[in-house]
Amino acid sequence: MTNPLLYPKGSTVLLLGNEAIARGAIESAIGFAAAYPGTPSTEIIEALASVAKDVGFYVEWSTNEKVAFEAAYAAALCGVKSLVAMKHVGVNVAADILMSSAYAGVNAGFVVVSADDPGQHSSQNEQDNRWYGMLAHIPVIEPWSPRSAYKLIKEAFKLSEKYKHPVIFRSTTRISHTRQPVTYEDDIPKPKTKGVFDRDIKRYVLIPIHGRKLKKILMEKWHKISSEEGKPPLVEVINPGRPKAIIASGIAYAHVTEALDYLGAKDDYTILRVSLPVPLPYKPVIDVAKDAKEILVVEELDPIVEYQVKKIIQEQGLEAKVYGKEYVPTDLDLDLEKVYKAIKMFRGETPETPWKPVEVPKVEPGIPPRPPVLCPGCPHRNTFYIIKTAANKAGLKDPIYTGDIGCYTLGYNEPFKTQMTSFEMGGSIGVAHGLSKVVDEPVIAVIGDSTFYHAGIPPAINIVYNKGRAIVLVLDNYYTAMTGHQPHPGTGYTAMGEETYRVPAEKLLESMGFKTFVINPMNVKESIEKVVEAYKAYKEGEYVAIVSRMKCALQAQREARKKGIKLPAYGINEDKCRGCMVCVNLLACPAIIVPEGKKKPVILTDLCAGCGLCAQVCPFNAIEVVREGSPDWIKAWM
Amino acid sequence: MPRYNILLAGVGGQGLLTLGSIIGNAAIEEGIDATIAETHGLSQRGGSLVVHVRLGDGSSPLIPHGGANLIIGLEALETLRYLNYANKDTKIVMNEFLWPPPLSKTPKLEDIIKAISSSARLYVVNANEEAKKVTGLIVTANTLILGFAYMIDKDLQSLLSEKSLEKGLERVFRGKALELNRKALKAGMELAKKTI
Ligand code: SF4
Ligand code: SF4
Repeated sequence: MTNPLLYPKGSTVLLLGNEAIARGAIESAIGFAAAYPGTPSTEIIEALASVAKDVGFYVEWSTNEKVAFEAAYAAALCGVKSLVAMKHVGVNVAADILMSSAYAGVNAGFVVVSADDPGQHSSQNEQDNRWYGMLAHIPVIEPWSPRSAYKLIKEAFKLSEKYKHPVIFRSTTRISHTRQPVTYEDDIPKPKTKGVFDRDIKRYVLIPIHGRKLKKILMEKWHKISSEEGKPPLVEVINPGRPKAIIASGIAYAHVTEALDYLGAKDDYTILRVSLPVPLPYKPVIDVAKDAKEILVVEELDPIVEYQVKKIIQEQGLEAKVYGKEYVPTDLDLDLEKVYKAIKMFRGETPETPWKPVEVPKVEPGIPPRPPVLCPGCPHRNTFYIIKTAANKAGLKDPIYTGDIGCYTLGYNEPFKTQMTSFEMGGSIGVAHGLSKVVDEPVIAVIGDSTFYHAGIPPAINIVYNKGRAIVLVLDNYYTAMTGHQPHPGTGYTAMGEETYRVPAEKLLESMGFKTFVINPMNVKESIEKVVEAYKAYKEGEYVAIVSRMKCALQAQREARKKGIKLPAYGINEDKCRGCMVCVNLLACPAIIVPEGKKKPVILTDLCAGCGLCAQVCPFNAIEVVREGSPDWIKAWM
Repeated sequence: MPRYNILLAGVGGQGLLTLGSIIGNAAIEEGIDATIAETHGLSQRGGSLVVHVRLGDGSSPLIPHGGANLIIGLEALETLRYLNYANKDTKIVMNEFLWPPPLSKTPKLEDIIKAISSSARLYVVNANEEAKKVTGLIVTANTLILGFAYMIDKDLQSLLSEKSLEKGLERVFRGKALELNRKALKAGMELAKKTI
């Protein structure tokens, strides 16, 4: 079975928005793609990596978004079409080079995919990255569905080639992570992967004297785009000439069309479908506003199109009254209900919807919330238990645990509370250093392996250089686990599956000047002893780092399945269990449950990963192996 | 024509995304349009999870509250949590499986069943056990429950033929997994026939 991404022209395949973007990019003949994984952008590069060798282009997981951007941008400077993908906050990391790329431009199609996360499904904020287009003077294209993403990514490459300028392609969670049937319009061309670096110093060395000239060229391009690109498929006027109009940008268009269907009002409005919100081309807006006296702008998050529409109308001396954020929310994802209500209000009607939900019936004791939790067997659980127990033993009083971005962020919750901050990638270490200068408690920066390589290294160096008093704890589970186990510099292979050098975190930390302790948290007792030793060294004034290394449980289980290894499973011996609830309260493993009305916990064997932590923690030795693993089961975890 | 909406509710890691893909691929076989809105990232780590499957023309991905034609719940608490996607005509097929979140107090399974039945048409299937009986694998419980839901829902049957559903499986699984899931689908259908 070949990969559906490689099917010929005419095939219809159920694609995730991100896969649709990947296929569109392949049809555009990209030769180079790079990214750092981040929800909701990850599957773009995963999809590309899965076919890179077949098609013959290059793909990498870079160490962070800035590095990924620089690499892909360099390819485009040499005439190799390229793509870089990242989540919305990743653009913050790459913002420096992003700004400069608008000045120097490109020599081949170069698209920056920004996957935004309205609703914060898996992010620290819901910033609207269309602003970056405004800020950098880089056009932004936003699709309204996975299928349109497939088509429009190709337009993005065309636009980029036409203006020799970077283009931002802004997707959102509800496009990137929605599946839709996509029919391929083109076959896969042979990509160009080698280029030429033209030593155009006046263009590539952004010293003031060059930059000032480039800014002029940049503004010329910008005005040309806003005056000439206001046509299908980027911007389309539907039902021209109506006295009322709705301008819908990106995914809002999908909601607007369906809401109008429900209202039976499809023909009542002129619709302006916008897929080029930045810079908003002014001609179609003028066309619409000449006839429409009232206009509703529907867009997700910030009023970026709305501001531009208002500006254009004012400059043209037109009279249309423009509504937008008074009816359309500025937070969370838009949906059919919200847009239906907005249109009702625009019509001057009460915002009732045609759907009649039943009420969720009351039950006792209520429906408990179910936030994400560390998986059964997750090594972070072991590490959190170990560092807390060791802190008690070593007399390390009230440590402050700064945190970072990854599965382990879940340590913020009961029973661990080993994540007391989480702002951005790498922030744990930088914040820990600052705290250590101004508070008396011990400070421990808890950071994942991938995050450490991403943005943890400069702040770690800063601790040693500036005599900070924070401990660095790297949780090394071999993968960028949260986004679906992408490899990173500590994994030993690349995005394209090639074996490569492993960069051990402990070697980096040692070379910076940290006394570094490596533990295997599966061995709980031994690890506690080592961490106690580490804490003692810290108290004596040494720079201390700890690397806790054990494979992500999901990957260990996957490997076991693949290699036919049977992992052990644990159970609670009812006769030995005294119902002390230590395993439940200290570990919160989802496989250990207390059935309603019972005084003793049980382990759901089907869910147990067999890590053995609970058995090591139970004070009465009541937790026992109930299903033996194969003799070599431990190999799956290494 | 309004789209046909299926809400899949459960716990991250239970295989909801695969279930959504099966239905979406069946839609392709049938030649109808579909969107399937998934949840990735952190929420997949044992958190509460829903997948919105919408069949028919259109691209708006989320089902409105009260707009589901069918709800398939892979876990009891999560079925109850998202009951406001149902209206009084919605059919609900729920796995007889209560998975309490760590460190929480939960209502009893009987109480949840009673509560849901009081507001909607509820079918309860012990999919985990039934799946283990037919395939030996708990992961096939999802396909089994899909087979069950398909059999009790005439509207879904009028949209997707049984053949398309099977073809949907073929587009998602291969080899041994395909065989087991075929078995599970059939078993679910048979179970439903016995129930109605
Ligand atoms: S995916 Fe891996 S690292 Fe993330 S919570 Fe699960 S076991 Fe832990
Ligand atoms: S051995 Fe214990 S702690 Fe580990 S996964 Fe099984 S039940 Fe959870």
